[in-house]
Amino acid sequence: MRSLPRSAAAGSFARSLSRLLRSGGLMAAVVLYTLYSALPFAWVGTMSVRTTSEISAAHFAWPETFHWDKFRTAWVDSNFAQYFWNSTVVVVSAVAIVTLLGAAAAHCLARYNFRGNRLVYFVLFSSIVFPPQIILISLFQVLVEYDLYNSRLGLTLVYVSLQLPLTVYLLEGFFARIPQDLFDAAKMDGYSDLEIFWRIVVPVGMPAIATTVILNFIQLWNEFLFAVVLLSDQDARTLPLGIRAYMGDYFQDIGMIATGMMIAVIPVVVIYAFFSEKLIQGMTAGAVK
Amino acid sequence: MNRTLPGPAAGLRRTLASWLAAPEADTRRAALPTIMVFLLPALLVYAGLTAYPVVRTFYNSFFEVADIASSDFVGWNNYVAVLRDDTFWAAVRNTAIWSVVGPVLDVVVGLLLALCLYAGVRFGRFLRVAWFTPVLLSYVVVGIMWVWIYNYDWGVVNVALRALGLEGLAQAWLGDPRFALGSLIVTHAWKWAGFNMVVCLAALHSLPSEVLEAAELDNCGWWHKLRHIIVPMLWPTLLNLYILAFIGKMKVFDLVWIMTEGGPVWSTETVSTYVYKRAFNWNTFDLGYPSAIAVVWFFVVVGFVILFNVLFRSRERMEF
Repeated sequence: MRSLPRSAAAGSFARSLSRLLRSGGLMAAVVLYTLYSALPFAWVGTMSVRTTSEISAAHFAWPETFHWDKFRTAWVDSNFAQYFWNSTVVVVSAVAIVTLLGAAAAHCLARYNFRGNRLVYFVLFSSIVFPPQIILISLFQVLVEYDLYNSRLGLTLVYVSLQLPLTVYLLEGFFARIPQDLFDAAKMDGYSDLEIFWRIVVPVGMPAIATTVILNFIQLWNEFLFAVVLLSDQDARTLPLGIRAYMGDYFQDIGMIATGMMIAVIPVVVIYAFFSEKLIQGMTAGAVK
Repeated sequence: MNRTLPGPAAGLRRTLASWLAAPEADTRRAALPTIMVFLLPALLVYAGLTAYPVVRTFYNSFFEVADIASSDFVGWNNYVAVLRDDTFWAAVRNTAIWSVVGPVLDVVVGLLLALCLYAGVRFGRFLRVAWFTPVLLSYVVVGIMWVWIYNYDWGVVNVALRALGLEGLAQAWLGDPRFALGSLIVTHAWKWAGFNMVVCLAALHSLPSEVLEAAELDNCGWWHKLRHIIVPMLWPTLLNLYILAFIGKMKVFDLVWIMTEGGPVWSTETVSTYVYKRAFNWNTFDLGYPSAIAVVWFFVVVGFVILFNVLFRSRERMEF
């Protein structure tokens, strides 16, 4: 962004600020904030390859030997393979379903003119502000009644409903900007409504769909509240629950907890490394006025 | 919002449009079955897993649900009990403090960081990544990390204080009711500042240059530009960020549950953790009472959202 030519005035404002930056104090603040922001995570990273006894001897030391085998231990012996698999199954299927349902609904709301269109949009969207407790307790009852409590299927369905408002909101905004001419032309070529959705809206809307997929994935990967209420079985636990349970059982085993945390974080970091622009777009959509 | 069709108010335009572009009006119409194919799956999920649970929570709040299968009608008793519940009020107080103070921290830090990047600080790309990463970490990871950071014996805060010779300032940050809530607020702000930064940065880049040029002619100092031009022009974005953060913090649960579980002595209890505790972590099992708290809080949150909308909308109208 900064490489774009900016107007002289905006540039000179930036220059006067950057002069201030160079002048000393502020640069120190920037460095301090960066340490504050990045060091905790780097610290956990170093602990994840050190044994707990090494950590107890010196909490802030650089790893002398990198114990990569701790990842294998966590993965195999501490059930993290199971947690990782559960998280993957639940999150990937929830994201796939919510993307499909959300895109279909968003397309319908953005494209077709029917009575109650805005009402449906408002109803779907408004639940984004609800405090989660308003559905949490009765969802627990509902899932118990339908034998979906403590199952990955139940949690998947709940995750679909949790991410639906955001998905519809983001996609509706994008789909509404696809020119109507494209649809008229497709109609004239004899495309059915479903074909239009599948062969025009989905390919054209792919950038927005990708954004919602990434955003939904990260939010659900990190989700804790609904998972902790709706799952109790050890073998159904997702990663956040697994880490917390491990923390509860082996409070002193800092090194291993750190390894578990890194296992949970790595997928998110990988996605961020590849799709940071898309992710930031999705998160900031609607917040800039 | 993003509808391209003219609204009903634009009568003349609509008449003209319907004359000139008759086929468009037709292609925008669809048979009910077509609409339902697209809309029904989403509506079913919404009805079954959002609308029905909301209604059921309202229903539950008038019952004592001591058992999944059976319940006893108690009228408004749960609500009366909620209003007399000191712990509930402690939770409201903590949540209110958090919702008012927390967003200020988030937005101010976010704006300052965005200004640094906007001014072209060196290694800006790297810094943006470093500052944004906490946003992506789960609360479980952030919470455990900060429990260690605040550890009395070897946490980095106390170790640093001791190293600086400020032994006396070392605290049991999460164990002392005086500091626990503040410590959580700092951790939460640590996680969210990066989000506010990227939004502020996007807003800064979309500022029109004319006003800054005028300020340049008047030879304003940077502080005056910030105070009298940048902040007022970013004000809608800043306000929006404040509101988003405010609403988010009214629901805060995960971080508290990981770090303190609401303790010590209710000093970090939030409404969300208290509802959870009463429903699933209490010595008596009753889903009715926490439902009543959830309903009360639902109206508080929705009320604030509506209030902000009214204030914000009328503000915008005043500006134009």
